[in-house]
Amino acid sequence: MSPSPDLKQIHDHILKIKDLLITLESMAPDYPALSRNSRRALACIKMMELNFCDPAALEPADTDAA
Amino acid sequence: MVDQEYWNPILETLPVEKLKALQLKKFKNILNWAYTRSKFHRALYDQAGLKPEDIRTLEDIKKIPKVEKSMMRGIQNKDPFPYGDALCVPLEEVSTFRQTSGTTGQPVYQPDTWQDWEWWSECWSFILWAQGYRPSDRVFLPFGYNIFVAFWAGHYAAEKLGCEVVPGGVLDTQSRILKIQELQATAMMATPTYVLNMADIAKNKMGIDPATLSINKITCAGEPGAGIPSTKKRMEEAWGAKVFDHSGATEIGAWSYECRKQPQGMHVNEAMFLVEIEDLDTGEIIEEPGRKGKMVITALDRIAQPCIRFDSKDIIEWDSESCSCGRTFRLIRGGVIGRADDITKVKGVLLSPAAIEEVVRSISGLSDEFEVIVDKQGDVDRIKLKVELMPNASRTAIEPFLKDQLRLKTNLGYLIEFYDYGTLPRYEAKAKRFKDLRKKPDAKKE
Repeated sequence: MSPSPDLKQIHDHILKIKDLLITLESMAPDYPALSRNSRRALACIKMMELNFCDPAALEPADTDAA
Repeated sequence: MVDQEYWNPILETLPVEKLKALQLKKFKNILNWAYTRSKFHRALYDQAGLKPEDIRTLEDIKKIPKVEKSMMRGIQNKDPFPYGDALCVPLEEVSTFRQTSGTTGQPVYQPDTWQDWEWWSECWSFILWAQGYRPSDRVFLPFGYNIFVAFWAGHYAAEKLGCEVVPGGVLDTQSRILKIQELQATAMMATPTYVLNMADIAKNKMGIDPATLSINKITCAGEPGAGIPSTKKRMEEAWGAKVFDHSGATEIGAWSYECRKQPQGMHVNEAMFLVEIEDLDTGEIIEEPGRKGKMVITALDRIAQPCIRFDSKDIIEWDSESCSCGRTFRLIRGGVIGRADDITKVKGVLLSPAAIEEVVRSISGLSDEFEVIVDKQGDVDRIKLKVELMPNASRTAIEPFLKDQLRLKTNLGYLIEFYDYGTLPRYEAKAKRFKDLRKKPDAKKE
């Protein structure tokens, strides 16, 4: 079995892609092929956030509160 | 990759305390989202004297008012058309319309954004991967692609996994069977009723034994059948395939699934949903395994029309065992056991249609079809059970055994009517086999 990936690194990469897509989306609102495809790609990126960023962002205080 | 057991090893094996922390964090987020964006939700929580910041622990969540389906019907008369004021995004961000089937009343409209629709297929990806779907699979979907959510998200999830998807939309049953044969499809998704119906038609009308086809796994939804042992066994034997249960709903999402270990129950996807079980009489939240209650569910990441503490009316119970697959997502024993709407008192005894199904489908001389009608004879409740005899089966051999088993499993007596094979109604999607005529004062007796 391959070693576990670095969750923190995955988290950082996902957020970088997200930032890039947000930038792309706002760069040319009059170019639907850019803005709409960026928007749709952001919906896919959100699924990676749910899978990897959300658990990576859990703090000890979150566990205590639950 | 194909040997990997989990769609996401991080979430599916998250330690319980972290899973709870994740649920609480997400619950607060979705509650705040709904409160700040939807008039419906704000009014509901204001009326209860609650603000999102009042929720600090999982224990606090039960203070949040539940949402009933009837409330969702009510809001649809408000702006913005056609969804009403539970909508939390601008109308132009809604990309997909679906509606409930209307089995229990006026259909509820369900708006979803692109993100929601990605989320739907993400939830289904957990299901399909856990059930052994892999990129090498050719998946046949024999359902009407239309306004009902049905297996739409299963289609997109299978694509996401890398499977080849064959949409068997408007084909009739015989054409679907021939297409499965022609393409050597390896997997299929359908309601239990239709899985059995397809097998019946293949065998008895087309002379094709479905077990000789290439289907090796079937994912069921829409009805509890794949969680009822005798129905599951019938499906598995008919198709020579593993049959897996899954549960979801239009207003909720795809919230639970059986894994390849087939633990006689389903895992709740606790990274995406918060499931609470409420005692039917007292409303108390049941934490311990083995006590049946009504499911109250929150979809933690659905944004267009959030599902927060939705009273699903599904009857479930926590399992005391964990699953050998290693997932930390809890199991519900036997899947969805029934619906609060269907579980009714007859002669003072609680009757679950699923218990009758388990008995009927365990007798090989009876066909897959049956009907249960509860009415009154004078002031006394009466249960009529209509069953079909398979060709060459002996009524005299079956009848006493059927009566005994029904008495044993349900503590009730039945008036049993036997019909020739092929005479009771057949269904293509969800079957309507249970009728309680006592609830309709103007209904005629059968």
